[in-house]
Order: sequence, then C-alpha cells, then structure tokens
Amino acid sequence: MADTTVLYHCPHLDPPHGPLPPELLSSSASLHALPELYFCEECDAVRCNLCVGVEVASYFCPSCLFDVPSANVRADKNRCARSCFSCPQCSSSLQVQAADPPTGEVSSSSGTGPFLLICPGCKWSSREVGWEFEKSSGLAQQLARVHSAAEVVQSEFDSLKDHLETYLTASAPTPAPTSRTRHPTRHISHLTQMAAKALHREIPGMAAASARTRGGRNAVKSAEDRVGWDEMKEYEAKGRCAGLEVDKAVELEELREGEWAGAVAGIEQTWAKSWDGDRRTKALLPQRIPLQTKLTKRCPAPTCRHLLIQPDSKSTRMKIKMVAANYLPAVEIGRRRRRIVPGDASEVPAEDVERRRRERRKTRGAKEEDEVMTDPLRPGEVYYFQLALTNPLYDPIQIRLTHAHAKSSAHTIQNDNAVIHIVTPHFTINALKDAWAYDEEEDEEEADFEGTEASEEATGSIATGSGTGSGTVGRKGARMSLLAGGSVRDNGKERRDGVERKGNVSKVGVEVEVSPQARGLIEFDIEVRYTYRSDEGEEKADEDVGVKDASGAGAGAQGGAEGYKTFTFWVRVNAGKVEPVLVK
Amino acid sequence: MGAFDPLITYEKGTYIETDTGNKVSRKAVVTGAQNIILGGKSVIQTGAILRGDLQRAQAGHHVVISMGRYCLVGEGTVIRPPGKMYKGAFTFYPVKISDFVHIGPNCIVEAAQIGGGVEIGEGSIIFSSVSGSSAKGVMIRGKFVIIKDLAVIRPGTVIPEATVVPSMSIWEGNPGRIVGTLPETYQDTVEARCKSIYQRFRAVTST
Repeated sequence: MADTTVLYHCPHLDPPHGPLPPELLSSSASLHALPELYFCEECDAVRCNLCVGVEVASYFCPSCLFDVPSANVRADKNRCARSCFSCPQCSSSLQVQAADPPTGEVSSSSGTGPFLLICPGCKWSSREVGWEFEKSSGLAQQLARVHSAAEVVQSEFDSLKDHLETYLTASAPTPAPTSRTRHPTRHISHLTQMAAKALHREIPGMAAASARTRGGRNAVKSAEDRVGWDEMKEYEAKGRCAGLEVDKAVELEELREGEWAGAVAGIEQTWAKSWDGDRRTKALLPQRIPLQTKLTKRCPAPTCRHLLIQPDSKSTRMKIKMVAANYLPAVEIGRRRRRIVPGDASEVPAEDVERRRRERRKTRGAKEEDEVMTDPLRPGEVYYFQLALTNPLYDPIQIRLTHAHAKSSAHTIQNDNAVIHIVTPHFTINALKDAWAYDEEEDEEEADFEGTEASEEATGSIATGSGTGSGTVGRKGARMSLLAGGSVRDNGKERRDGVERKGNVSKVGVEVEVSPQARGLIEFDIEVRYTYRSDEGEEKADEDVGVKDASGAGAGAQGGAEGYKTFTFWVRVNAGKVEPVLVK
Repeated sequence: MGAFDPLITYEKGTYIETDTGNKVSRKAVVTGAQNIILGGKSVIQTGAILRGDLQRAQAGHHVVISMGRYCLVGEGTVIRPPGKMYKGAFTFYPVKISDFVHIGPNCIVEAAQIGGGVEIGEGSIIFSSVSGSSAKGVMIRGKFVIIKDLAVIRPGTVIPEATVVPSMSIWEGNPGRIVGTLPETYQDTVEARCKSIYQRFRAVTST
C-alpha cells in the first residue's frame, strides 16, 4: 500500500528554483507538505522548518502546564522545578499519593503524609528508592534539600561552572563579524561563533605534551600564537572520579549474581542520564520532567527577519501566522483511472512517446476503469489522474502547469519510470468564498471569471497555450468554440475541456504512462505558476479576515501590468508505487 | 484540501438524525441518554457505547457526557466516565469533550476532559475499511486523563491514568509519550477535516 502525496519545494535561502530531479535522493530534503510551510510576504518566498530562524517564546512543563519564566529555566536545568517527575521504568509522569491512604481511597494527593510518587502506568513506587515526602507539593525543592543525589558531583559541577562563568562574563561576546550574510539568525550566529572559538582553542594538556616533545622553540611559538586568544586558568578538580566509584564493586557483584533479565537498565532508561551511573534497574531514580517550548519563527533572510509565527503563551492561537497554506494553491492528486486497451498495446514503437500519445488520443473512446488510489500501479499501463488545485485567495487565479525540469517538451515529463503528460496546462480557479456564497452566486461567479480572462488577454501578461491543443486560457476564440461545444454544468459542477470546477477547486487531468521496466515510486515534479490580482494600492473593504494580503513586492513576483502578479512554486507529485504483475 | 475525499455513506434508516444534526447509529449503545449532551453535527457510529448511566453517587440530575460540535465516535468505541473513591464513597466524574474531536474505532476513553481539535486513533476514521481497523484501537486506560486542545493520539496508544496531554503534541506508544509536535496550521486543518467528514456522511437508500 502506497500513499500518494504532493510535496512542496522550499528553495531555502536561494533565489527561487526548481527542486533537484526525483531520481536524486538528496532532493527530498527541501520538500515538505503544504501545512508545514511558511510564507514570508516581504520576501515573497516559501520558508520551511529547516530554514526559519527559531527563538524560544516561552517554556512550559508538559505535565503541569506551568509557564516557567525564562529567567528561571537555566537555574532549573530545563526541567520542571515543581512536582513533576517521570517514572524511571516507563517514563510516564508520576503521581503523588499518600503513603497510607484513607481506607478505600485509591489515589489521593490529599490526606496526611508521608507522600510517595506512584507511576500510574507500571505501578512503580518511589518507596523502592527510599523517597518519601512530608508535603504533597513542591517535591523538587523537598528533594533538593533531602536527597541531593550526589553531593560530590554537584559541588564539583558547581565549582567548574563558577570557573567557566568568570571566563564567560570576562570575555563578553563581541558582536558578530560584518560578513554575516548566510547566518540565519543572530541567535544562531552567536552560537556558531562560540562553537568555532571552542574548536580552535588549544587544549591545555595537549599543548603541554607537545611542548615537552618538540622542545622549547615550539613552545615559545605556541605561546606567541596564543596572543589575543581567550586566556583561561587551568581548572583544578576538587575530588577525583575514582572516589565516586566505591560501590561499583557491589554493583558488579550484584549484576553477576542476580538474574539477568530486568536487572540491568535498558538503554532507553539510561539514555538521558549521566554516563557513569548505576547500571542496575532498581537504582534508577525518577527524573524531573524536561520543559517544552513554544517557538517564535522568523524569516531567515538576513535583510528581512520578519516574524512568521508568533505563538500566544496563553492559548493555542497564534498572534502571527504566516503559513503557505493561505497563499499557495493546495495541490492534490486523486481519481485514478486505468486505460483498458482492447488490443495489443505495444504495437507502436516504444521510443516515440508523442506518437503513442496521439494514437491514444485518436481512440479516445477506449474504456477507462476507476481504480483505488492505494493499489499498486502496474508497469506498462496508462493511467489518468486528476490534479485538484484549491485556491486559498479571495480572487480568481490563473494557473500554468509545466514540467519542472524542462528537457524536452514543457508539458511532457519523461523519466526512467514513466512518461507524464499534463493534459491541461492552463486554466483558472475561482475565488475562495464563504461556503454559503457558492450556491447563490453561481452566475456572478461566472461573470467574474470572464472578466478576468478578458483583462488577462488585454494585458497579455500570460503566455498563451503552447500548441498542445488543450491549453485554452487567453484565447477567446478557442474558448468560445469550447463553450459552443457544450460545457456541462450541473449541481454546481462545471466541466469544460478537461477542467472540472467546483467552488474554488479546479481539477485537471494528468496522463501517466508507466514504462514496462518501471520500479519503485512514480514521482514527478511540476512547476506551478499562478497569477493573481494583487491589491497593492487598492482598498479592499472585506479584508477583515486577514488571511490574504498579497502585497508582496519581491523577487518571485513579476511586475505584470496593473496589479497582476505571478508566483512560481514547485511540487513533487508521488502518484503511487509500481509493483510488477504477478505471473501465474 | 480533501478535493478527492469520497462520500461516506450509510443506509438510510440505520442512523437517527436529531434536530441539531447529530447522527446516532441505531446500533450504538447509548445508556442514560438524559445525561448525555451532544452539541450538534456529531456522529456516533455503529457499535459505539456511551455510558451516560454512570452518574454521580449523589442524588439529582448530573450531566455525565458532554460533547461539542463536529465530533465523531468511531465503531466499537467505549466512552465512560472515570470514577474513583472520594470521601469513602465511589463516585463517577463527568467527561467533557469539546468541538472537533474525532475518536477512532475501538477506543476506550475514560478521560476527564478532551479539548477541541483532538484526534484519537489516526486513520481509523475510514468508515468503509472492513479489516485492519480493530488493531487501531486506542486505549485511554487512564481515568482522569486531560487532553488539551489540538493533540493527536496515534493508533494503539495507551495513556496512563491522570496524564496531561499538552496542546500541539503527538502521542504514541504504551505507555504513551510525546513523539512530536503538530504544525501551526493544525487547527485549520482539523476543523476543515471534521466539517468535511460530517458533510460527506450521508444517507443512501439501498436499491
């Protein structure tokens, strides 16, 4: 079972360009589903999660949902400092329970102490590690007072931190150098700068060793080299790590003697803990629950840096939400039909794609069979799909579909697995309206539509159909004849030369000829250009929704005649998986 | 989105349609209906069990299950109020379910609160599929689980008692844990999908 998908291409910070062909696996890194993409109006460009600049807007505990002030986060070591602990066995969040609950009461945080932590998932109890609490709130503080786990380690850590902190504050980070063109954000560039510094620093022990071996001259030189570097005193450890390993013998003995299964903690259980911890399962301690964040996302372009996402710390709403789904038409693939050829399909030589297509066109009356989208495709068959494009804008738009990697014909994509032909490369999509408006204003809608096309023709900002015979938009004569040829309309649906319109959705056909030796996924890239009316300098009364404000003045938009703009994006369509026909 | 989604049909007469547009299967087990509030435009599918009879021990009328608009309770799913001992007596507590909540087939839900736009059991809202859906049951075994707005509980997840599921999180596993974050557009996506599913849920007369 293979799912069909349509992924959108994000060119990251590069000027708009198509994705690498689907044959190259590395192309997948810049393809995302439409709901995951952002759109920067200032740059007029698609942005994705990999390229946006990210800042932490707020911290919260996923268990008690407490908003932790960012000033406290560091002191709390990024974990919840209240009463949230995760189970050492199964990582569920632990519950506080009275050790001796009143008769019959199973779970209660009321009553009198002492209190225990109980795992609701696996029934682990903090009694196993000897943790009992006097009060039922503020367990982390109580714990820090009573069971400060390894005091030696903690004091060592604190003194090391103090040592480094003096250094950090002394050499306050200098502002980033001038050439900061490709660093996504100031925040990140600061981090990379720090990292680079750390990497270039000479390790004290190593320097001493090399000085000893290579003699005095080198040592002097290295000392000279270090002028201007951050000078740091050597850190004297307070204790020795050997002292911490007293009970290792006991632990080892126990592991050797005891039953193996379950006695040793699994890698998942010890993953987030210290390196030299106790390996016995029963010695694992509950951990405070790590905090989660809400993120602010910014446009990565160094000259732009506009906010794309700004969350509201109180609710799930976003204060600013610039997502691609509100700007780009949604592309979907569906309605698969298989062409059933009565005779032998392979009478036409395999090289001549165009001729075969024309041949098929002649015998248009051949049967087509609807198929389930999830069934595997068969090699050597011809399939018809429909591409549905949904207009998110409150204005009608013009669409032009072309092959993204223009090698041969603009409307025929040929790769190892299949030949894909875009049957209707030019068409329009009606404007998005409120759901109730569709039924009532059908006629008006139609009028709207004519208007756009007429003006489109007048300005000539759209290239006309390139002679495939089916691209009709912009040629009034052709359109008229088509209308005469009978556009079928019923029940809000409208069919006109392969374009099926309903509301703000237009569906067009795509022909996929799977080659006989095809294997794997049938994938192809399509370049989608859409032309919309930009309301620059135009007052719109019904702009209260805030969804659409196509005032982009940037790179992707072509300065068409009065108020028409074109935006180009690329999608990768996965039409399904080819599986060979089983021969009986 | 959803331009190719097919109609979801049921045979005319097998579902009862209420004035507010709820569609309740005649084969769903709804006990204590006077204690259940459906917000409208919600679908209760065949074989679902809603235990409205498990009300508080105290005398009087209590709402046991309240459900918002555009919700869906899948086939074979059980929704029952959580109960516990309180002051020496066993009592049940109400279940509050907000708008746009989809609970897939064969789930057991004893949550105390489910926020808006929550999807439980992915993929299990394909009504026509015959096989395989039984493996997709989600068990919110835990009583008093609180699920905040906008969350996805993947198929087969078991969430222990009194767990809090924060907004915009994806949960999976036994015991369930956070495995991911939802995109910022999820609210629009889930509301559109729930409305679309309700609109496509139509009666047909068998020939």
